[in-house]
Amino acid sequence: MSSAAAKAHHAPARFELDGGALALLEASHAVPLVSFVIALRCGSALDPVGKEGLTRLTMRMLRRGCEGMTSEQIDFRIDVLGAEMAVDTSPSTVAIHAQVIARNLDAFVDLLAKLLSAPTFPEVELARLRRETAAEIVEARDNDRAVAQKAMTRTLFEGHAYGRSPGGKTDSVGRVTREDVVAFYRQIVVQGNVVIGIAGDVTAARAPELARRLVTSLPKGAPTPDEVPEPSMKPGRRLVVVDKPERTQTQILVGTLGTSPHDEDHVPLVVANAVFGGTFTSRLMREVRSKRGWSYGASARTMIDRHRQAWIMWTFPAAEDAAPCLKLTLDLMATWIGAGVTPREVAFIQRYLVRSHAFEVDTAPKRLHQALDVELLALPADYHTRWIERVRAVTPETAAAAVRNRIHPENVLAVVVCTASNVLEPLKGAMPDASEVSVVPFDQE
Amino acid sequence: MATRDAEKRSAWAAEIGGLAYEGAHAFGGDTLHRWRLANGLTVLVLVDASAPVATYHTWFKVGSRHERPGKTGLAHLFEHLMFNETENLPAGTFDRKLEENGAETNAATWVDWTYYYESLPADRIKLAVKLEAERMARLVLREPQVKSEKEVVANERRYRVDDDVEGAANELLYKTAFTRHPYGWPTIGWMEDIQGFSPEDCVAFYRTYYAPNNATVVVVGDVRERDLLAAIVREYGPLPSQPIPPEDIHPEPPQLDARDLEVRKPTATQKLLLAFKGPAFGDADHATLSVLSEVLFGGRAARLYRSLVVEMELATDIRGWVSTFRDPGLFECWATARAAHTTQEIQRVMDQAFERVCTEVVTDDELARAKARLELGLLQQLETIPGKAEQIGFYETVLGDPVHAFQRVEAYRRVTVGDLRRVARRYLGTGGRTIVRVVPEAKAPAEAAQ
Repeated sequence: MSSAAAKAHHAPARFELDGGALALLEASHAVPLVSFVIALRCGSALDPVGKEGLTRLTMRMLRRGCEGMTSEQIDFRIDVLGAEMAVDTSPSTVAIHAQVIARNLDAFVDLLAKLLSAPTFPEVELARLRRETAAEIVEARDNDRAVAQKAMTRTLFEGHAYGRSPGGKTDSVGRVTREDVVAFYRQIVVQGNVVIGIAGDVTAARAPELARRLVTSLPKGAPTPDEVPEPSMKPGRRLVVVDKPERTQTQILVGTLGTSPHDEDHVPLVVANAVFGGTFTSRLMREVRSKRGWSYGASARTMIDRHRQAWIMWTFPAAEDAAPCLKLTLDLMATWIGAGVTPREVAFIQRYLVRSHAFEVDTAPKRLHQALDVELLALPADYHTRWIERVRAVTPETAAAAVRNRIHPENVLAVVVCTASNVLEPLKGAMPDASEVSVVPFDQE
Repeated sequence: MATRDAEKRSAWAAEIGGLAYEGAHAFGGDTLHRWRLANGLTVLVLVDASAPVATYHTWFKVGSRHERPGKTGLAHLFEHLMFNETENLPAGTFDRKLEENGAETNAATWVDWTYYYESLPADRIKLAVKLEAERMARLVLREPQVKSEKEVVANERRYRVDDDVEGAANELLYKTAFTRHPYGWPTIGWMEDIQGFSPEDCVAFYRTYYAPNNATVVVVGDVRERDLLAAIVREYGPLPSQPIPPEDIHPEPPQLDARDLEVRKPTATQKLLLAFKGPAFGDADHATLSVLSEVLFGGRAARLYRSLVVEMELATDIRGWVSTFRDPGLFECWATARAAHTTQEIQRVMDQAFERVCTEVVTDDELARAKARLELGLLQQLETIPGKAEQIGFYETVLGDPVHAFQRVEAYRRVTVGDLRRVARRYLGTGGRTIVRVVPEAKAPAEAAQ
């Protein structure tokens, strides 16, 4: 095996740190850059109802002031070191993603350690961030795809933590106080809750010391327990029309509950989904784009998290094609569930998934992120390392059974962003068995 | 060592036949080798064994600048047509062959160029050679293929322009700023032009621009260079070169007037798109103006971000960009107003900042910050094997220098505060700029201006 091929199979180095913190290192000297992920074993699922967005606001506040430095000084310091940092929030984890030119590594680690352990949470900065966040939420309504995704998530997982937006709502972020942020920071930014990932131009000899510097000043504390219940969805076939003026095009999402990474038939479902809508030559693309030219793209995906997540398919046809396109995709879905996948399709997609796996592990940051996923989403320990083996083991029968068992056509939610006055009636005709049809404004949160 | 390398490669060229070795370029710590086939095809190879993958890029020196009024979007249509039927591959076979070998494939078109790529396991690289050579010369262009892809492109246009506020504003900006040069029409094409393409239009365009002497193949990855070259000569060698017509481009006359347009869109907030005429990418001023753009717009510590987003809270988002075109383009400035604030308020603050960099020098700290951000951005583009191939192909096609990315960093390093003031005075004049204001549809003009 070549050294390059060997990289595809080894796991990042692991270091146990003080107080139960964990560090993972994936070294690579391909370019003089070092990437950091400072992740917590909890996410926006912890946000209190009415204060959605608290997790993200708390982590974004870390760069808005620390002992001895103002927000402006921090921003300048990050830039002048040739670095960048951003916060990414999901229901199960929140993380600072950062990168720096290798020659400034030490100075950047000192800065990150200070931001993590000594934030000052200035009231004036929190007020500013609340307003900034609310403005960003309003601005995101210009993006029809984002509008569709938000509507799908909140309707599919209504009443469940997965249905809440990690970014919060315009009114909920306005209710977050400095006391909320300080208390939440003290609760979640503790050694036992931290996973540090380092990838890039750093040696194995230096990595433990760098990771220790990041967590050493944090208080001790246990990992946040996962108290999120298994999600369920409202039964029935539902159509939600998100009304937005002057749309020449529509965004159509069709979703239902999908799979948990711990399901025995998880990988067979992923394989069956790849046949259905995972590649450029999949059934969906062939029927929607290649044969009919109705949509620039057409795809389906199985999302993963600690608990069962969604299965969603996506197309974006012109307004006049929306109803036939919705009908076609629902019919294709029914055929997929009823008739399964053919041996030829499964063999083809296995070759694709096995051979393209090289691109899942071709850079140090990608290899690191796989290991972080295992830690943060509580995936089976061998989820990634035995992926190819599991894909190869799937048969047409196990793939078809996984679709039948997991994707229930009687419980389907279709979300369409469009100008309702033009498209609503044809859409109803495309989904005549819908038990519930609703029209909501595009700025509903 | 370099001489021995050159001798070895010249010997390969003689053994394989039909190609010439044209020398090496230092690419960071690696070496990029340049080859040319007898039919004019340029081949650039960078062996990179950091992962068992490879990327195969084919860059054509054809973009929307080579179209004519009434036929806009033709270069981009090829980005779609090229994945269809060829003389030896039935429809759908191109993508299926690549997918079953674990490859990812796509393409991109812009004003000056079009490129196609395959990223695939390194041991499958010869499949990319075979498929790309096939579609360079043997594409089938009949009514069914053209009709189907026209529909797809029309939908892409709705997605990227017609229903996208920023896409629509950007299209209007270039249409207004360029009155003669082809940069004034959109790369995706006007909708009526897209819907009017005939197979004959496509065949003529294909026969004119899709030829080995108008293309550069870039290969980066864990490949055996000699075997790869032999495969390239075998597949591309028989393809004839074509006479490439001289460009028929009208230079854009100097813009002496300020152009200010307002457009109404279903959006919650106002948007400002303000653009000065900028230098060509190959102009020495381009790197300097890019540094100035970082001082003003790049990151949370930039002057205009601090004033507009953080301190005055007039905007949610601002950006600056100097277009990377072969001919002089634009220095674009974008701002999204916060609710109840207007483009006029934002413009006043921007104008004060532009005036200030024309009269005062920026601080050394600001200059250092801007340079560090640009260096980080360049290194990020070189993090992956496909990223390296893209940089090589882009710089080769636009500037004729595949390793110019590294010279670009050196150019940034040489910029002084005096240089910044000079380019500010040269390019940031208010007399010849173009402004597009997006106003929420529901509001009357007087209300929107308050």
